Amino acid sequence: MPMLTNILRKKPALSSGMLLFLGLFAVFILIIPHITGLTTIALLSRIYILAIFGMSYDILRGYTGIINLGHALFFGGGTYIAGIMFSRMGATLDILLLAVLVSMAFAAVVAYIMGQFAFRGAGFTGVIACAMITLAFGEIGRHTAETLREYTQGADGLTFRVPLMFQDRVMMYYYALLFLIIMTLILRRFVNSPTGRVLQAIRDNDQRAKFLGYDTKKYKLIALVIAGMASAAAGIMFALLTRFANTELLTVQNTLNALLYTIVGGTGTLYGAIFGTAFVQLAQNYLLELRGIHEIFSRWLLFFGAIYVLVVLYMPKGLVGTYLQLAGKWQNRKKAA
Amino acid sequence: MHIFLMLLINGLAEGALIFLMAAGLSIILGLLGVVNFTHGVLFIWGGYVSIWIFSMTGSFAIAIIAAVAAGFVMGLIFERLFIRPVYGNVTAQILITLGLGVVFTDMARLFWGPNPIPAARPEFMDGTWVFGAVIISQYRIFLIIIGILVAIGINYLVNRTKVGMVMRAGIQSPDMVQALGINIKVYFAGVFAGGAALAALGGALYVPLVGSVWSGMGINNQILAFIVIILGGMGSFYGSAVGSIIIGLTVAFVSWFYPPLTVYTTVLLLLLVLTLKPEGLFGMAVRN
Repeated sequence: MPMLTNILRKKPALSSGMLLFLGLFAVFILIIPHITGLTTIALLSRIYILAIFGMSYDILRGYTGIINLGHALFFGGGTYIAGIMFSRMGATLDILLLAVLVSMAFAAVVAYIMGQFAFRGAGFTGVIACAMITLAFGEIGRHTAETLREYTQGADGLTFRVPLMFQDRVMMYYYALLFLIIMTLILRRFVNSPTGRVLQAIRDNDQRAKFLGYDTKKYKLIALVIAGMASAAAGIMFALLTRFANTELLTVQNTLNALLYTIVGGTGTLYGAIFGTAFVQLAQNYLLELRGIHEIFSRWLLFFGAIYVLVVLYMPKGLVGTYLQLAGKWQNRKKAA
Repeated sequence: MHIFLMLLINGLAEGALIFLMAAGLSIILGLLGVVNFTHGVLFIWGGYVSIWIFSMTGSFAIAIIAAVAAGFVMGLIFERLFIRPVYGNVTAQILITLGLGVVFTDMARLFWGPNPIPAARPEFMDGTWVFGAVIISQYRIFLIIIGILVAIGINYLVNRTKVGMVMRAGIQSPDMVQALGINIKVYFAGVFAGGAALAALGGALYVPLVGSVWSGMGINNQILAFIVIILGGMGSFYGSAVGSIIIGLTVAFVSWFYPPLTVYTTVLLLLLVLTLKPEGLFGMAVRN
């Protein structure tokens, strides 16, 4: 499948076979809601939304080389802001617009403050300090949500209504798909922009980028703010989909979910997060169905952690990265022959 | 005044417990250059194993020894299977230890159930001393003594013994040490397992203090330990000792006067130190 390789490598390829394949795939995606049940529709909508959460993490992990262990703060923050505003001020489109503005501002400000402290160090200790400080920020967020029970209902979770136009499951599917497409285009634009190139330079060699005259801390802050805002946007969509928020969304576990989506899919590929999210969510769903066979299959976290460790140890490039590598080898061999 | 004295004791005891976690983390970081996110899990397992053994044997000492042994063995296994392939790759270390943390937290839930298990304090330490208006729990004094002993022990081991000398030489130049006929890998594994055993000891001693063990207690204490080692300066053993005392006292005082602020205060303290002294109080270079 050299065509697919070209798409993933972002090279223009105009073979008619590829267009046919893509066309059929697009039609398939569009008619799915009409040929399957609500469970599948909900699962796919969920994948589309969480894929953006994963992609926002890829901006950090894959493109800038940052490990942010408090990333759930932005996603959960978006969900909570939308949820609290819907339940307090009414579930209308005006309020949704306001919620979007508030959560974007929230994500930008929190990311800025978080980054100010997390990106102080450089080199080896810098990476560790960054991971630990972001972890502490994330825990502060979770702790705050648990303390403000009046607004968040704590661990019980907050149930709320959403604007009328998001209540239909099939329409929600299309909104989620549209959201995925728009956000992918925006984020792709971002990682291919001059700023995005600098981020990749920082990822490859922080010190070299600094010597070239780039203010690496400033660029890392930009990456964190963009990733935080994208993640908060995904959080709002998640609120519209699930109509529910609880403190699970703010835990380290949720951050690890995003991290798993990107590393399974392949870091530094952006699209990898879509494959990763789909793989992880489908695997989780499948294992839950096996629950009847043996109780062990209901312990998702065991499998979650195991996939995690195995991918990092044996497939560090993830699905897309490994595929690109194999495809590259195959093409080289063909050329040589 | 008596409240002040009581909080001082509470804070030092809390600090001693945090120190057991932070010392292990700091040594592993300083000597091996490895950042270990499984520390919280080793803490939990230490707690569960000690309670489990205590309920079977009724002996506090055996329970503690079993917990330390469990931590040591887990540390050896983690090091051999998961850490050794990623020495020098910080990002992979963080990811792998986080993944291991998830697996072993859930395994603890699988074995011992999701609900907190109540734990009794050993009888001979359940008492209190009363000096006028000051009530001092014997167990807290015991914790402080353990903390001091561990600090002295580690300091002696690293700075005064042949083993410590090899370890310190191994940081500077592992190849040279290897060339001199010393199997440095064994020492590295030992350091990692030793740090893990300290975390398990911390867990085992923490449980009688708070009265129960639950699977969520790892993350809180791990974050406190992280705060301590950044505050004290990464890789600095003295830093982690001083940091533990500072954080222990802070937690004790703030949680006495206004508990909801405890988490914020510790993090604010960290941010304050980072603003004034980015390398931490006793910051020094760690192995790169």
